[in-house]
Amino acid sequence: MVESSYKRFSYYLLLLPALILYLSIILFPIGMSSVLSLTKWKNFQMVGFIGLGNYVKLFADPGFLRALWNNVQIMLISVLGQIPLGIILAYVLYRKFVKGFKFYEMMIFMPITISSVVVALLWNRIFSPVGIYTYFVKWLTGNPDYVMRISESPYFAMVPLLFVLLWMHTSLYMVMFLANMQRIPKSSLEAAKMDGASESVILWRIVLPALANVIFTSSIFAISGSLKSFDLVFAMTGGGPVDYTNVMSIYLYKHTFTYNNYGYGSAVSLVIVILSVGLISLGRALYGQFQKKFD
Amino acid sequence: MIKSLSKAVLLTAVFLLAFGTSVFASGAQETADEGIVLSTYLQIDPANPQQAGYVEMQAAFEASRPDITFQHEYATGEAFHQKFQAMVASRELPDVFTTYIGKRTAYVTETGNAMDLNEYLTDDFKNQFSAATWEAQGPNGEIYTIAPSMAVCHSMYVNTTLLDELGLDIPETYEELLAQVEPIRAAGYYPVSMGNKDQWVVNSWLLSAFVDRMGGKEWFSKAMVGDASFTEPPFVKSLGFVSEMVEKNVFSPGVNQMSNTEADQEFYQQKSVYLIDAGWRTSAMVTSLPQEQQDAIEMIVFPALPGEVSPNSSAAVLSEGFGINSKLSGTPEGQAAFDFIAYYTGKEGSEIRLSTGEIPTFKLDYSGMDLPGLQMKYAQFQQDHPMGYVIDSKMDGEGMGLLNPDIQAMMFGNITPAEVAERYEAWVVENDSNRMK
Repeated sequence: MVESSYKRFSYYLLLLPALILYLSIILFPIGMSSVLSLTKWKNFQMVGFIGLGNYVKLFADPGFLRALWNNVQIMLISVLGQIPLGIILAYVLYRKFVKGFKFYEMMIFMPITISSVVVALLWNRIFSPVGIYTYFVKWLTGNPDYVMRISESPYFAMVPLLFVLLWMHTSLYMVMFLANMQRIPKSSLEAAKMDGASESVILWRIVLPALANVIFTSSIFAISGSLKSFDLVFAMTGGGPVDYTNVMSIYLYKHTFTYNNYGYGSAVSLVIVILSVGLISLGRALYGQFQKKFD
Repeated sequence: MIKSLSKAVLLTAVFLLAFGTSVFASGAQETADEGIVLSTYLQIDPANPQQAGYVEMQAAFEASRPDITFQHEYATGEAFHQKFQAMVASRELPDVFTTYIGKRTAYVTETGNAMDLNEYLTDDFKNQFSAATWEAQGPNGEIYTIAPSMAVCHSMYVNTTLLDELGLDIPETYEELLAQVEPIRAAGYYPVSMGNKDQWVVNSWLLSAFVDRMGGKEWFSKAMVGDASFTEPPFVKSLGFVSEMVEKNVFSPGVNQMSNTEADQEFYQQKSVYLIDAGWRTSAMVTSLPQEQQDAIEMIVFPALPGEVSPNSSAAVLSEGFGINSKLSGTPEGQAAFDFIAYYTGKEGSEIRLSTGEIPTFKLDYSGMDLPGLQMKYAQFQQDHPMGYVIDSKMDGEGMGLLNPDIQAMMFGNITPAEVAERYEAWVVENDSNRMK
């Protein structure tokens, strides 16, 4: 009895630091944000409680809705672009369809090792009106006024950014998938080949089911990463031109730190948290259904 | 087992507490022995060659006042403001910090954290500076910082070599400028370089000057407080000129995708005839362009606009300076901090800063000074042109977050000048602090 009390006490004692950390760096800020999101600020001072006023303003603001849509686009390119492409690249390397496996692995992995700001500067140097790509097209077409007009379009301004995001992050998923593919027992593949299975059958029937867990985990990374996208977008476009490439975190940053509206900024941050948790929970539920079906 | 673990945890905690206390205690003792110690947080990049004047001034001041020791912290751009805001929120402000005169650091100046320097300012001291330096910075005539220089936010730089090559003259009117577009483009050059990727550039460096030309300071002051409206002709017509310049190919392509550094490079590489930029760009030109090219650059204001009421004007704002933590009021540290600011903005600091390209607000005798030609042109430019307001230094920053993107949308042809004005006026009516007074 005494020993059991000691055990329980020691568990609580050992748990305490983690609990304090969790409460102070996760739950406390979320709680504070929730309270702040109900307040109005002006010139760095709280001027009163306005209930759900910030949320009403938020969802009526076309600027926020555009930022939200841009985040959805990033999420789509992450989940439907980076992950499938990562699987394909990993499979090509895993099955050694190309010579120089190590070289390709290194080259594909390289973009993720570079800082987002450097990547943004690099691609800015390429796409800018005085950049390499623009210069090349001017030379090729003889049109001295050529610039990438797609960046000035309210409908397509995100395309260059999505391209860079695809270029940069696919490699991370590729490495994760490749590592997991290498854990698939070789005997399964050999048996399949002996039975005359084609590459597509091997991919669909053996490799992908074995990767189901990691695909799910990667999707969670992709969704949460997409909703908090900031560094690359901020360094590459700053949300412009106009607000065509604005994302929620830049919108949040501007309202909180440039305009000092902490109440409104907190409302945005809470919406981001709710969306992240909601989407991840939805993904988890879908994965649960998927597992049930295959079990 | 549990007992010995508890003892170990307790002992570790006691040790950490004792160690921490001894470290902080010894730190306080050291600083107390060093005379006056001033902590700073300044928006300066000491490694930037353009800020050589500050570095030199700092060294000279430290040599002249060995009784003052500095604990410096530097940052630039948004990183500076982010941390500064956190400092204000936690009431952990340094003794001396960078302060703006307009709205940019309202979170310090309007929250009682910056000392009103009037307690140190004598008439003799003030008379040594240009009168604009002492425009009230707070609602009760407070002076939070002594502006070390004027930031001229509109200048048109002319490459006279290209102009001569094309057989053209410096345009005196807007129509003459438009008429030059075709011959300049036919010769393979761009007429005007300007980089508005950062959104505020067209507002600060072009629209502000246009609004002053079309309405003057008096109209703008009325519009600020609601006695006039931003939907009136001075503002709408000014936006209209920007829009027309885009339509008539005055700017080099991709003006809204180009950073102002890239636009500068385009002009430096002699691909464009004119550059619209700030007046302080001369210091970069002096250090980076060959003398022959510098000699061929003229500084003018934008040509005369049809219907203008304030001819020949540019737009300017007093540049940021250093403020003092209000907690130091009446203390020796406060006096030492003011001595530093007075040195920086006064004769000694001004002479040093002038030598590195800055035109000070302190009245210096320029005769007999051996200054680069472009720098003299900039000093002359400030004397020759009346200066209107810079919109974003007078109006709330949040409104700029609406106006600046709308200017870009207008330049893409997605919204009209009247719509930009209407949207901005509607925001100002509801939100701008100038209208709430």
